[in-house]
Amino acid sequence: MSDSGERVAEPRYADWEAVYRDNVTRVYRMLYGKVGNKADAEDLTTEVFMAALGPLRLEASAPEVRSYLFTTARTVLAGHWRRTLGLEVTALDTDDERWLVDLGPEPEVPSTAPRRAEAILAQLPEPHRRILQLRFIDACSLREAAAALGITVGYAKVLQHRALKRAAALGEVAT
Amino acid sequence: MSTQRYVRDLLRGRRPRRFPADAEAAAELRAAITLAAAKPDADSPREEFVHDLHRRLSEQLAPAPTARSAPEPSSNVVPLRLGPTRRRVLLAGGVAAGAAAIGAVGDHLISADSTAGDTEAAGTLEPNVGTWRQVAASSDLEVGGVRQFDAGSVVGFVSRDAAGLRAVSGICTHQGCRLNLDPDGRQLDCPCHNTSFAVDGALVRHQLPQPPAALPHLQVRERGGQVEVYLPTV
Repeated sequence: MSDSGERVAEPRYADWEAVYRDNVTRVYRMLYGKVGNKADAEDLTTEVFMAALGPLRLEASAPEVRSYLFTTARTVLAGHWRRTLGLEVTALDTDDERWLVDLGPEPEVPSTAPRRAEAILAQLPEPHRRILQLRFIDACSLREAAAALGITVGYAKVLQHRALKRAAALGEVAT
Repeated sequence: MSTQRYVRDLLRGRRPRRFPADAEAAAELRAAITLAAAKPDADSPREEFVHDLHRRLSEQLAPAPTARSAPEPSSNVVPLRLGPTRRRVLLAGGVAAGAAAIGAVGDHLISADSTAGDTEAAGTLEPNVGTWRQVAASSDLEVGGVRQFDAGSVVGFVSRDAAGLRAVSGICTHQGCRLNLDPDGRQLDCPCHNTSFAVDGALVRHQLPQPPAALPHLQVRERGGQVEVYLPTV
């Protein structure tokens, strides 16, 4: 093939290690975007690879392998919510699938979460938007957030609670 | 309130604790999770984690010593009334204890739609006339632990993970062979056709033309320091 082989239509993985190396970060990121914490993201990533690599056929093309990892991850995530909260809080959708499968060689791109978070924040009134931005995105303590907003810690807590309820009511943009 | 505790855990980077959520709580948590996941650089996996998972996968995928001689059927069985010193507790290492809740994963690459919804093929065994029977002392079943029990008419496995207790049947849903707990205590292997189930009953792998159903669950509870399973009254 010309162009140093980069145009080969159907890239394949040499072995399971290549599958792992190429996908562990992106699968982790995708799941992190759906659980929001390391402990669960690590457990679920483990579950995905433990389940997927054994039965995987390497003759499949790289995009097919990623589709398969995506499907496994979707099932694993659904099981996680069934076990922990009893209903499906987040799910992997076609946006996530596109993100995982089409993503080029760099797995450093953040998941779909930042874009979804922005969409939520953009719809909130100013005080709600700011408290959530400070607490969740900027990782401020309640005290720091209260200071930044010039309000008491007690009120910051109430405001955060209301803001989250409001964000939830915005509906299903966030899924 | 549980929702607020969950959010607090998220904000502190701790594993959030489970609770029975309703739709309102779910909507709130969905927003909280999306926001928490958008924190810059939060979603990079730890290097140790990537390395450690690689090691575990190498172990799992290494060509297994296939000629494990047929296990003595009774050797793994925990009789119901043994003293604590003779009880075998099999601890699963690491985070995957009882975790794999995978749908039917065939021996071939499967199409994108075929796994969804397959995970809960089996229901819960509810005998017409049943009794709660002790199968293990609570203290003998730590988080990550799995224990086999033999109650005559029913054999099975109880396990405990972060989410709580769980009991499943110990009989393969394909043709009724009795399952063995693998040496790592992570999954239940059928000696007949290389089928494996997670300790929560989900099918992990098989080589059959059709995926066998997940293992039936049994009702399980904890009373007075004992783990009890609801079993048919003999």
